[in-house]
Amino acid sequence: MVEFSPDVIDTIIRAAALLGAGFAMIAGIGPGIGQGYAAGKAVESVARDPEARGNIITTMLLGQAVAESTGIYSLVIAIVLIFTI
Amino acid sequence: MKYIDDPVKMQKEIIKKSYIIAVIPVVYSLISGESATLLGLIFGIVISTLILRLRVIHIRRSLNMSEDKANTFIRNRYFIEYAIYFVVLLVARKKVSLNFIATAAGLFLIKFTVIGWIILDMLKEKWQKKFDSYK
Repeated sequence: MVEFSPDVIDTIIRAAALLGAGFAMIAGIGPGIGQGYAAGKAVESVARDPEARGNIITTMLLGQAVAESTGIYSLVIAIVLIFTI
Repeated sequence: MKYIDDPVKMQKEIIKKSYIIAVIPVVYSLISGESATLLGLIFGIVISTLILRLRVIHIRRSLNMSEDKANTFIRNRYFIEYAIYFVVLLVARKKVSLNFIATAAGLFLIKFTVIGWIILDMLKEKWQKKFDSYK
């Protein structure tokens, strides 16, 4: 069996942590695409029923505020992986 | 849901509710003397509130655009906000005077308030329906 020195193991762990941080950041893309799509559909809805503008803005605000949290989760995990290990 | 027709009032209500919830950890950290936690929490809440206000402005602007333009506009703004969150969390991680977890909790507070509010509202509606059916 191949035995690695502590330095090599440390480097492998650091590399894996940085790789994990990179993968975690992929989760930040999804909410952006989703929010953009929701905004497009909101424009369509306002064009169809201009009186519901206030209602649409409020619903979109709540939806976007909640949708964004998954992106921030990934950011927190990435920063912890980068700076802790 | 209350104020569903008025985005400004809804925004104020969300901020008010978040601040009321934030009083508990702020008072706890004040009493226990953990200044890093207190500062981190306040830092996170302030940034989160400002970003919520910014989002309302962006949504209002996007509704005057065409569908494709609104899509691109909101997507780009999201990535700018994401960069702001990144800088905030990075500063919280680097500075000793700010607690990282408290800052992250401050950033999440408004989101959890919204989720909690919606869940409570749904439960209230459900109980009201059941109560009316028993009458």
